[in-house]
Amino acid sequence: MSERKQLIMIDDDPDFTEGIKSILSKHYDLDIFHNPKDGLAALQKKRYDLLLLDIMMGRGAEGLMIARKMGADATLRTVPVLIITSIREQIAFLFGSQALHPHFVAHDELLEKPVEPKLLLERIEFLLKAGAKEREGK
Amino acid sequence: MAERPRILIIDDEDVVLDSCQLVFEGEDYEVVTARDGTVGLERAAELRPDLILVDLMMPGISGFEVLGKLREIDPTLVAIVITGYSTVNSAVEAMKQGAFDFLPKPFTPDELRMITRRGLEKRRLVLEAIALRRERELLRENFAAIISHELRSPLAAVQQNLFGLAAELEDQLTDAQKERFARLKGRLGDLIGMVQTWLKAVSVSVDKIRESFAPVDLPPVIAQAVETVQPHATRKEMTVTAEVAGPLPAVLGDAGTLTEALVNLIGNAVKYTPAGGRVTVRAKAEAGQVVLEVADDGVGIAAEDLPHLFGDFYRARSSAGSESGAGLGLALTKRIVEAHAGTVAVASTVGKGTTFTIRLPAQAAGTQNPAGTTPAASSTRDPGDQS
Repeated sequence: MSERKQLIMIDDDPDFTEGIKSILSKHYDLDIFHNPKDGLAALQKKRYDLLLLDIMMGRGAEGLMIARKMGADATLRTVPVLIITSIREQIAFLFGSQALHPHFVAHDELLEKPVEPKLLLERIEFLLKAGAKEREGK
Repeated sequence: MAERPRILIIDDEDVVLDSCQLVFEGEDYEVVTARDGTVGLERAAELRPDLILVDLMMPGISGFEVLGKLREIDPTLVAIVITGYSTVNSAVEAMKQGAFDFLPKPFTPDELRMITRRGLEKRRLVLEAIALRRERELLRENFAAIISHELRSPLAAVQQNLFGLAAELEDQLTDAQKERFARLKGRLGDLIGMVQTWLKAVSVSVDKIRESFAPVDLPPVIAQAVETVQPHATRKEMTVTAEVAGPLPAVLGDAGTLTEALVNLIGNAVKYTPAGGRVTVRAKAEAGQVVLEVADDGVGIAAEDLPHLFGDFYRARSSAGSESGAGLGLALTKRIVEAHAGTVAVASTVGKGTTFTIRLPAQAAGTQNPAGTTPAASSTRDPGDQS
């Protein structure tokens, strides 16, 4: 691989992000933000290859707010999002139990905390490829 | 907010309406106009604009009155007043009436553009706050989601670090240490799974599971339930066997919660049967019903305990020995089975064993796939499915 992919993680639990970091740092560059506001600002400033996103942060489901904003933004829409949440099963309720979750951006997926390293790396690779293809197509 | 913000201008002067429209021509707005307060209010109620520009001095109902009525229509509407007499008093009065800001006449195109942009930003914030509040309320209604989050988060953080540490130290750990890591991860994984199972069961809402009813083939459900309990049985050197008599008709239901119900019964049987004992799960079709039995050769349940068995938090006195549990399992099983229009019963002889019997209505032949029932409706998303 030529250059390391740039990943960003927004999750308000520093212990959790620490656990993710030690799995990913061997393979990727990872910037971590513990509040939605700083995270969104960073996303708008730097071109990331993938976002790892928590749902329940701060005042409520602020992760969803970020995903929604990304969906409305032509550039951020192309950044793949891997949602990692401890309320995977409940997310459906937030949207009237239609789909498990609506798609905010071109490529997103939902995993439940905690995530097995193998599964985590696999889904990240999958989304990175999908994201790269999306960008080539444009 | 819609991609193209909608702006309503209420003013009796054509020159103001025209010049505003001219200024907005280059912007990506949808502009709607009204010549008096009455029409303006109608438009506002019907279109719910993102921003309203309203003249204070108009024939008919005044701008002040319009402001008051706007708040009645929708308190989240953002209004900016255009005031001909640019006195502080009228502006302050308008703000008191709920206006977001004021624009004194005459104004330059830039002034109008700037105040409009600020008004729309305010609207965006208002809508965002509403969405957040709505989601919070929804979560509050979904008590299980909150509890699930609170209980799972610390466990997930610990587990994620076990995963991470094991990955980081991969080259340095001895085999024995790796094995200990694996055991820790296993134990914690069990705990997380247990929390999830209990919460799911506690939050079983009859209406909710009915929404996802589909024809369920029971043998896989039985196999899954037996498999779930198997590790506990193995630890106690017990055997759990399943005996399915002949082809079983499908039942209309939810495979997940039916599995849960069976796991509870089999798990209980394993728990309250001495080491080396035997648990048998039998399934058969009988007179339009599917009958599922979970029988053990354990200590049995005293006759006086039997009637209370399916109540919340009930634990039979004779079982108050070394076994732990919240005493919710049977109550949940009953709730799940009843949601499936079935019954659950128990028969027991002290010293000989206990048999739980679930009866579920069999689905009539020819109705295997009723319209509107998608078996995948309640399933989780396939990781490979990208839309």
